[in-house]
Amino acid sequence: MSEHADLVVGTVRDILAAHEAFALTPERPWDAGLWADLADAGLTGVGLPEEAGGSGGELSDAVAVVRTLAAGAAAVPVAEQLLVAGPALLAADLDLPSPEEPLTIATGGVVHAEPVDDGDGPGRWTLTGTATDVAWSGVARHVAVLAAAPAGIEGAVLALVDAEGLATSEARNLAGEPRGSLVLGGAPARGALLSPARAAEVRARYALARAVQLAAALEQVLDLTVRYAGEREQFGRPIARFQAVQMELAEMAGEVTAVTALVDAAVQTLARGEDVVLAAAAAKVRAGAAVEVVARLAHQVHGAIGFTQEHRLHHLTRRCWSWRDEAGSELTWATVLGVGLLADGPDGLWPALTRVV
Amino acid sequence: MSSSLALAPAPPSEAAERVRAEVREFLAAELAAGTFTTHVDTWLSGVDPAFSRKLGQRGWLGMTWPQRYGGHERSAMERYAVTEELLAAGAPVAAHWIADRQSGPNLLRYGTEAQRQAILPRIAAGECYFVIGMSEPDSGSDLASIRTRATRDAGGDWVVNGAKVWTSNAHASHYGIVLVRTSPLDPADRHAGLSQLLVDLSLPGITVNPIRILDGGHHFNEVVFDDVVVPGDMLLGEEGAGWHQVTAELAFERSGPERFLSTYPLLAEFARRACDSGDAAQQATLGRLSARLLALRQLSLRIAAALDRGEVPDIPAALVKDVGTTFEADVIDEIRRVVAVVPSLDSPDPLGRALAEAQLHAPGYTLRGGTNEILRGIVARGLGLR
Repeated sequence: MSEHADLVVGTVRDILAAHEAFALTPERPWDAGLWADLADAGLTGVGLPEEAGGSGGELSDAVAVVRTLAAGAAAVPVAEQLLVAGPALLAADLDLPSPEEPLTIATGGVVHAEPVDDGDGPGRWTLTGTATDVAWSGVARHVAVLAAAPAGIEGAVLALVDAEGLATSEARNLAGEPRGSLVLGGAPARGALLSPARAAEVRARYALARAVQLAAALEQVLDLTVRYAGEREQFGRPIARFQAVQMELAEMAGEVTAVTALVDAAVQTLARGEDVVLAAAAAKVRAGAAVEVVARLAHQVHGAIGFTQEHRLHHLTRRCWSWRDEAGSELTWATVLGVGLLADGPDGLWPALTRVV
Repeated sequence: MSSSLALAPAPPSEAAERVRAEVREFLAAELAAGTFTTHVDTWLSGVDPAFSRKLGQRGWLGMTWPQRYGGHERSAMERYAVTEELLAAGAPVAAHWIADRQSGPNLLRYGTEAQRQAILPRIAAGECYFVIGMSEPDSGSDLASIRTRATRDAGGDWVVNGAKVWTSNAHASHYGIVLVRTSPLDPADRHAGLSQLLVDLSLPGITVNPIRILDGGHHFNEVVFDDVVVPGDMLLGEEGAGWHQVTAELAFERSGPERFLSTYPLLAEFARRACDSGDAAQQATLGRLSARLLALRQLSLRIAAALDRGEVPDIPAALVKDVGTTFEADVIDEIRRVVAVVPSLDSPDPLGRALAEAQLHAPGYTLRGGTNEILRGIVARGLGLR
């Protein structure tokens, strides 16, 4: 990690430490206080260029912020803003809203875009339909919506929608994070046509963002579990002294280490400006697969206390159980990867594998 | 995470990609010429000295060693690319594999100048093959309990008595690095009193008895030492430092791509099936397995980069081998779940044959080079649990 990233991480940790663990409820769908402190410190604009209103810094800095907040089970839309919607808007030459106002991404559901010229010039579109599974719906002030392009045109339209006043239907993921729908009633929005490849990149960024969050959360789950096993005594000694428990912790460590290595490599692929679709697919699938083992064994080692609402473990494990199928399900990305690796024909697997990351 | 498990990312290596392309071209030509056919787990079973010599001539053995010992002074990342390409092609690399992977580096680290001069250039030429002399009939995971002993005779030579088992390709190899007890077992320090000897397998008193694996294949042996006189200057490294030396050797033994690519030829065959069928379940399974393989590649690359930095990443190596060999066996069953195919070595279907080869070798993946239970114990130590 760069020196700058270290500094950023330290600041995020300090802010997190000043806030209590946040329990999501339908009445309290996000941690507005934490967001305000992060925004005050400029951390909701990290990795976005200053000339666009961001705080500057590299992709690796933004990833460091997202990782730290994911490990802390922070209830704020930072991954969506810093790693997906923000960069996608900039790549499409669209203006970025103020980073102090939460911005999210919507790639699901059925939304159609039609060009309009309402006197404000070109680059304006009307969006109709319903965006589903929108992360932080009802919380995010702005939504970057990836909509189907008009009939006969390839690719997709990325448009920036003001979420205020939009009809929403509430839904939450397993951790209580808002994942509702937005009904887009045809209000004009500024947007841009993306080629199929650029649209695929937006989806891949979203998947990679979830993979980054998963990697951080899984690592934190491992840390919590190792610590707990060292403290919890049964039969007169810490349960970490039992080989059966050691085997489980070692298996968790293997999963976490593998996920981290691949997610890091996928992030570097993105940072180098290379095609990131298969790298993101692989990172997302691998991170998702690790959830099965890591969350199961973490709860097993924690015993009944880890199954309670008062214990902090579920803030991470419930997120992991959701994140693995968000931003494109595990099945979706496994198929993208499988099909993508066969693009050069029946004998092309190995060359394709050595190109992914 | 615990710092003994974490490794820095591997920097991209253009040199590695260049040599990768060369190896790929070479392998395509050899396959087209019919000098070898692709098989599963060829780093155990594919003994082909002519092929090993060809690799030596190309400069693809002893790649990281100094030129004065016949090496090529290339990076571990370049070597990684070469070994990975050979394994992916299912090429017959077993003859030289142990010598190139761990015996040579062990000699380089602990050998005398004379030992290095005599042996390393021959390994790099693909002409000299090694066996690992660690396990014994009564000592598997508990390696410190070995009983093969060496005592000095009046002339300063070593007299070796005992037996080693699971000795891959001893019938086709020239030397072994044999772990022996040179001082009686001290219950207070079981790791003390062990030494490594460089043993010429043609010495009088050595008997090599085949141990056939469950499919009848002859790869393993029992090597019996009956008053074998090993010249005094064939001690490797320090007397009594055998345990420490073995630990370093195992970092090389455990971290390479052969710990997750043993069944890769089966995966490649499955990819051909998925490509032809267009079956959605097969495509997704290919994606899932590939994601696991890609993560293992990154782990193994990180270890190669750590070796380039001069580190001894023994704990991460144990972790890679645990995760990697689990993957090797999972490939079989993940494929079976989405393809209706009957495994048989006689199958007209290449996928049926590859499945059969992979299945019949599967029990070995998570045993050889340290059982996964032992490896997880090492990882647990890395986590600070023991």
